[in-house]
Amino acid sequence: MRPLVSMSRNLRISGIFVITGLFVEALCLVWSKPIAFVVLVCMGGALIGLGVLFFLYSLVFASPHTTDSYKSAPDKF
Amino acid sequence: MPTFAIVILVLFSAVLAGVVVLRPAITASRAGKILAFGVLFFLPLFSLVEGMENEMQRSESTAFCLSCHLMEPYGKSLHIDDPTYLAAAHYQNHRVPADEACYTCHTDYAMFGTLEAKLGGLRHIYIYYLGKPPQPQDIKLYKPFNNRECLHCHLGARSFEQGATHNADPATLPAIKANTLSCISSGCHDTVHNVGRWGDKVKFWEGGS
Repeated sequence: MRPLVSMSRNLRISGIFVITGLFVEALCLVWSKPIAFVVLVCMGGALIGLGVLFFLYSLVFASPHTTDSYKSAPDKF
Repeated sequence: MPTFAIVILVLFSAVLAGVVVLRPAITASRAGKILAFGVLFFLPLFSLVEGMENEMQRSESTAFCLSCHLMEPYGKSLHIDDPTYLAAAHYQNHRVPADEACYTCHTDYAMFGTLEAKLGGLRHIYIYYLGKPPQPQDIKLYKPFNNRECLHCHLGARSFEQGATHNADPATLPAIKANTLSCISSGCHDTVHNVGRWGDKVKFWEGGS
């Protein structure tokens, strides 16, 4: 059961990175200062990149799972 | 893609990613796996690329350049009511696109010109926030202005090719085209922005944006 819980946790971690990166990007898009581009690339891009890479890493190294076994994984982060 | 559409796309992606974060169990089904791939791989990368492209585009706008207060006098120089001021004459008569006036003249029309202009912009940001920014009147070009940037538009134009001054001496036109006689610093069109040297008599054009 441990790998399934781990996959669920990994999805959440990568999701949180992606969401944070997307919010940074949204803020930069409405922030009309020259520094916004740097923040978008350095912070937004890095967070989104981390999230995506962590998601891909999880896919590659996760064990196969079934619907039933997923139900036993805790929903709360 | 317009900025507001990208912001909506970004927020939509964030909401969908939130669904996966709150309910990771949905990824057990085939549809859930596709959703997870979409919202944790495809949509964030697509949003990021669109966002960066949008920022790149915005960095070419006159408003973007003038949002830095060091550039305010340069922006003001575009409104000087005197046709001998090169930048003002180009801006006011739409010889350059008014909404991309700075970029049109200050980019390098060579293979990596756009890239060099963007790197130059990053250098400006570095100097502004972490270095010692100069006074507006002390700002200098990194390298002498190349005639190629002028000829990008003027080459082949009747006013340039058949202009009386350009043809007074048969050696002038070839020298300009070869960049051995500078348009700007050889004493012909040397009044460009002239920040810090306007004097009291300078007037400003009220039109434009």
